Amino acid sequence: MLTVAPPDAVELRSNATFEALLWALSRPGDVRTLPEAGFGAIAETLVDLECSAYADTPVMREHIVASGATLADRIDTADHVFLSAPDTTGRQLAGISCGSAVYPDDGATLVVAVAHAGQRVRLSGPGIKDTTEIALAVLPGFWAMREMLCLYPEGFDIFFVDGDQVIGIPRSTKVEVL
Amino acid sequence: MSLATLTKDWAATSYGFLDASAKRELRRKMLKAIAVPGCQMPYASREVPMARGWGTGGLQATLTLVNPNSVIKVIDQGADDGVNAASIRRFISRVSGASETWDTLSATIVQSRHRVPEEIMREDQVLVLQVPNPEPLRGVEPNISIARQMHADADYGKLWLTLYEQIVRKGRIMQGASYPSMVNGRHVMTPSPIPRWDVPKLNMARHLTILSAGREKRLYAVPPYTRVEPLVFSDRPYLVEDHADLTCRRSGVSGFFMNELPQDGGGSVFEVSDSNLGIKAIDTAQGTPSEIGETWYRNGEFSA
Repeated sequence: MLTVAPPDAVELRSNATFEALLWALSRPGDVRTLPEAGFGAIAETLVDLECSAYADTPVMREHIVASGATLADRIDTADHVFLSAPDTTGRQLAGISCGSAVYPDDGATLVVAVAHAGQRVRLSGPGIKDTTEIALAVLPGFWAMREMLCLYPEGFDIFFVDGDQVIGIPRSTKVEVL
Repeated sequence: MSLATLTKDWAATSYGFLDASAKRELRRKMLKAIAVPGCQMPYASREVPMARGWGTGGLQATLTLVNPNSVIKVIDQGADDGVNAASIRRFISRVSGASETWDTLSATIVQSRHRVPEEIMREDQVLVLQVPNPEPLRGVEPNISIARQMHADADYGKLWLTLYEQIVRKGRIMQGASYPSMVNGRHVMTPSPIPRWDVPKLNMARHLTILSAGREKRLYAVPPYTRVEPLVFSDRPYLVEDHADLTCRRSGVSGFFMNELPQDGGGSVFEVSDSNLGIKAIDTAQGTPSEIGETWYRNGEFSA
């Protein structure tokens, strides 16, 4: 008789984190709650030895090394990018991996610590019934850079993390700065 | 960093059968699939205790999503009590502790082969479709590398040509199941072998759909509120199966997708394909009211 292995703490945290990320990306602009604040659980949920990842803090770099992933020294070579202190003008992202039209899944996943307040933007696209408006503490230059890089289906997908709250903006979302 | 922090204690099985690295890969690919609706994302497709081609792709997606609070419904060709559906549902609940249901309304994850339930799925529900052949271009381009390039170029002329040839040869479009559909105006996907009847249910739906092909090692997704448009010529409207006027011989419901049961005398009788809908109707008729949710088709007309 098969017995169920009860989920351990890591499994429960990863499952709940993934559920938050999945729905955040499925419904851009919706705020989802992560089981714990910060990037640690997100890295644990997504990153392992098949990935290369970039981070701008020593703590996150340690997380990445412990996961077995290749630690990238530049944003350009990473498929997961964790920025705790992002440049809100977007210039820093100029080289981020956007995949190709043949393999759009090579585009990077960008996880940034950005307050869910400030510049208002209007979102439309898959996952949004008509349009939705949210506020994010990034400058219009960030969105201009994204628009320049994301030539659909090429592009990168963003999770804006504020404490334990997360908002997802996939490459398919059209962002209009208000 | 010590060895203890890099390893974990021995365990006989992993929660939800799949090991942690398999789940992480599936999570990464599911997120990318949602970011590019309808685009096929390659993944490794691990071994599960079931033959490839029997729903292993859907099973792996479900096992990644499942947690002890999940409520699982598995349907095979509309029925919850088919051998394949019952086995998959029991396996998922055994390895995850999730509860089982036949009721679309109480499920959190609906894994399905060949049908979308007739009751409208909610915003918090996930539909996982098992896909035998994820490549809509296979019939016109056997080389998968060239087919991938055609998707990259949005080069779907040959698909249109097959539909045109069907009209020229037979006077109507013969494509029954797996009707090629344009997702978000960019990628053509095969919606798995669901009948034409079910394709409109995916268009601007409230729920999230994940389509996963275990044998072919690809998955793709249709996020909520995403356009799914069957390929049709402007002067040849999309037609669903002619089931609007059929009545189920057991439950008496009509206006839903039916299974045809040929009879010895040459005629046919019909039974509603979404078996739990039929059960609910029978229960209600026999005096134990059973809530039937709002349905996508009303009086045989798509109206959601």
